[in-house]
Amino acid sequence: MSTTQLILLQILNTGVTMGILMLVAIGLGIIYGLMDVINLAHSEFLMLGAYGWVIARLVGLDGWTGLIIAPVLVGLVGYVIERGLVQYLYRRPLDSLLATWGVSLILVQAARIVFGPAPQAVPTPLEGAVDLFGMPYGRYRLFVLAVSIVIISLTLAVFRYPTFGLKTRAVFQDAEMAKCLGIRAPRIYSTGFVIGAALAGLAGALVAPMLTVAPDMGANFLVQSFLVVIVGGAGSLVGVVGGAGVIGGIQGLISYFSSSVLAQVITLTLAIIVVRVRPRGIFTRK
Amino acid sequence: MAHLAVRDVHTFYGPSHVLHGASLEVETGSIAALLGRNGMGKTTLLRSIMGLTPAASGEIELAGTRIDHLQPFDIFDLGVGYVPQGRHVFPYLTVQENLRLGLRNKRKRDPEIFEKLFGYFPILAERRKQKAGTMSGGEQQQLAIARALAGEVKIMLLDEPTEGIQPSIVDEILELLVRINQADGLTILLVEQNMELGLSVARDFFVMEKGVVVEAGAVAGMDKERVINEYLVV
Ligand SMILES: Nc1ncnc2c1ncn2[C@@H]1O[C@H](COP(=O)(O)OP(=O)(O)O)[C@@H](O)[C@H]1O
Ligand SMILES: [Mg+2]
Repeated sequence: MSTTQLILLQILNTGVTMGILMLVAIGLGIIYGLMDVINLAHSEFLMLGAYGWVIARLVGLDGWTGLIIAPVLVGLVGYVIERGLVQYLYRRPLDSLLATWGVSLILVQAARIVFGPAPQAVPTPLEGAVDLFGMPYGRYRLFVLAVSIVIISLTLAVFRYPTFGLKTRAVFQDAEMAKCLGIRAPRIYSTGFVIGAALAGLAGALVAPMLTVAPDMGANFLVQSFLVVIVGGAGSLVGVVGGAGVIGGIQGLISYFSSSVLAQVITLTLAIIVVRVRPRGIFTRK
Repeated sequence: MAHLAVRDVHTFYGPSHVLHGASLEVETGSIAALLGRNGMGKTTLLRSIMGLTPAASGEIELAGTRIDHLQPFDIFDLGVGYVPQGRHVFPYLTVQENLRLGLRNKRKRDPEIFEKLFGYFPILAERRKQKAGTMSGGEQQQLAIARALAGEVKIMLLDEPTEGIQPSIVDEILELLVRINQADGLTILLVEQNMELGLSVARDFFVMEKGVVVEAGAVAGMDKERVINEYLVV
């Protein structure tokens, strides 16, 4: 392989990592930024999404259906959790942390009971490779990259969308004042939570064929997504997307040139530096 | 008829009891000044009326309808405009976006309302694309008032709109409020620490002391010296 091909390969792989990380972290960032809720169960949204494929197969549906089932199912689960629990924990970060930790344990255990504790492989729905400048690259990975780009752009657009976006930004900046201007803040919180959950579910479904699916698969993504939110700042979607770019980029590049352990060490160090010098994140104003 | 009636309201912040049975009535179409030293509960009373810090007991009525168990957004829908202490404009949104958020129907860009507001506050027309957080205190105050007016409200609660603002703009703001009150019959409850300013525009007055309204009446018949000595001298 030529150097150019290697670089291209690296860029594509890093892009896939960044895309998944953005999909997961957006929800975490929205939920923290809008409602001061630290959601430790967010990683379980990803895990449940990954099981979307397994569920699709169990009920006898075609493999691709998993990709649709995952965000819908996980969005519903998110809605139930928001209405049943999280809505009582707004602006109580510590309580929300404890309560969602409980939810996380329950969901992992439930997955163990329903699907069994053993990791399961999900067959790739897109076999084979395409030729990119004389280099073979997995079709499915390209597909994941494309879907991530489209969905992230769509999400950014929804939050920019004239009325909903404006209301959401108002609630982000000053929730009390927004309410005094007739904005139903609780509805915005619910919607934000469900969108975040659905995106994590989609991320889970997207990564499933590239990894193995297991009840405890979420943990690693949770750590990474928290780093994204810390580094990028939870004040805006741009912060989260930027943070995912930085973290995903570092992880991808360093683990390629050196080891993934070094990549972890460097990301953690970066997170610590950011907390010291820009406690509200690199991309957050003020 | 009373546009706004507050009866025996008790309000708490967590365990701390701040309003101890506050009562007042603001007549439809009038301007009333709510006076009192710092920390006496004026802001808390407005917050309770808006539903931000709900009253634990007592009654709050708007044109005869109880609103004390409603959420702030429902109270806005009933035509109550709020200009909080410290202005609370959305700092990272433009002037125009701040104003749009004040509209009743935020989907509809209403050129008529905007024209009217820009007529009241020409500076906002000049600054319409500027981020609100980058403007001076006086400009932000005008924006906060314009944003409340954008909702075509029938009653407006203003919490120290003259605080920290240069005198020329203070006069402009107060004159404008009087003009809108006379032209459109907007009812105004104005919290003021500066008694002279408050009384210069108001028809009625209330004085708060330690979470209770201790004096109320018409400005015309007011014994200013006594009220100042008893309640307003620091
Ligand atoms: N968020 C709060 N938590 C606890 N106490 C508060 C809070 N806000 C105000 N207070 C207390 O309530 C009392 C009345 O305050 P406030 O309504 O702001 O008075 P005013 O507007 O007349 O200056 C004060 O003693 C103040 O310390
Ligand atoms: Mg006050």
